[in-house]
Amino acid sequence: MSELPQGRTLRLAPGCRLNDPGGPEELLLVPEGALRLKGPGRAIVELCDGERSLGDIIEELKRRYPDEDGTRIEAEVVAFLTRLRDRGVLEFV
Amino acid sequence: MKYQPRAIIAELTHRCPLHCVYCSNPIEMQRRSAELSTADWISIFQQAGEMGVLQLHLTGGEPLARTDLTELVRAGRAARLYLNLITSGVGLSESRLDALIEAGLDHIQLSFQDSEEEAANEIAGSRSHAVKLRIAAMIRERRIAFTVNMVVHRHNLDRLEDMIAFAEQSGAHRLEIANVQYYGWALRNREALLPTRDQLDRSVEIVEAACQRLQGRLRIEFVLPDYYAKYPKPCMNGWGHQQMLIDPAGRVLPCHAAPVIPGLEFFSARERPLQWIWEDSPAFNRFRDESWMPEPCRSCDRRTRDFGGCRCQAFLLTADAAATDPVCTLAPTHGIIEEALQQVKARSSVDQGWIYRIDPL
Repeated sequence: MSELPQGRTLRLAPGCRLNDPGGPEELLLVPEGALRLKGPGRAIVELCDGERSLGDIIEELKRRYPDEDGTRIEAEVVAFLTRLRDRGVLEFV
Repeated sequence: MKYQPRAIIAELTHRCPLHCVYCSNPIEMQRRSAELSTADWISIFQQAGEMGVLQLHLTGGEPLARTDLTELVRAGRAARLYLNLITSGVGLSESRLDALIEAGLDHIQLSFQDSEEEAANEIAGSRSHAVKLRIAAMIRERRIAFTVNMVVHRHNLDRLEDMIAFAEQSGAHRLEIANVQYYGWALRNREALLPTRDQLDRSVEIVEAACQRLQGRLRIEFVLPDYYAKYPKPCMNGWGHQQMLIDPAGRVLPCHAAPVIPGLEFFSARERPLQWIWEDSPAFNRFRDESWMPEPCRSCDRRTRDFGGCRCQAFLLTADAAATDPVCTLAPTHGIIEEALQQVKARSSVDQGWIYRIDPL
């Protein structure tokens, strides 16, 4: 698949939203159903707020998890957001 | 809960300005005077939210025929449900659409009968195609998820490429291409609606090419006709496994066609808690596990994937709801399907008149 655009900010596409927090499951609700989010998935989706670019999101996560390997954070965030983009869940503004 | 309900299909009314020859509503429709009140529906949505239901599909008939639709959307959203409106669009205006979105509507699925106006209006039994085009333009001007639904059959499958191009131009995010399923009104019109094998094979190629071409722009979902499948569809993902349907009078059903099966008692959400109906009512448990299965299902590896197929189809075609779905090539009654397909093949043109869906009082 093609690379994620660098300079633009990310937000959820229309009809895609997180379920209310505090439930038994972390879910991203979409027109066809729901995607189950694992680990930091919810936190990453929350950062797709229409204000931040891919670089901003990676920087923010590195700041939140200073003990983790930065290269690994970057690779995992890119892989996760690429999957969401291919699923039609993300918009680049 | 062993079986976690995920989605509720709410048939808010059976009233509809269209008369589609393949309407999925039952032949015996609920009258306006029997419809649930606003408060009844709101109570159902609240119970559903507490049970962990995620999705609420508002459909009909035409859900816009309910003047309280905006209030229902607001209540569904307050109950933490994802709100999907399945509509013909007839009855929508700019201000009503804005109110629905403001109330929390997440997604609109707009149905089209064809890409050509005359053919579309013939299937719908009403001059609705031009209205739908205006509604589509209205939807794409707003920020809301938008799916175009095209029902396909013998009479329009040869125009599939046009229909895909039509959906592309409509500005939809998703396109659902659904072959007619043969229940209710569609079963009455089956002889005229069943596509040929050649039409079907070509449609699969067209959809595959379109998926490639439109990747990242338009998501396409394609529902094949099960008459041509080797194995049955996992109907409703299993009887009473994930979804329930509530009819306009409040009857809670495992699927829209279930009332055709004799001997099952369906309870109304007016008289019983939704959770009891889902977990404990005999009808929801009748085909839930594997204990009802005959051979060849009982010892089949596929039984956990397709659950023996559709119980309603089994009843409609074999008069036994606990038979293997006859579309399965392993079913002892599969000859019924082969015969229907032979008839399709033998007929070069279709001159049968349509049986149109009627509107309830």
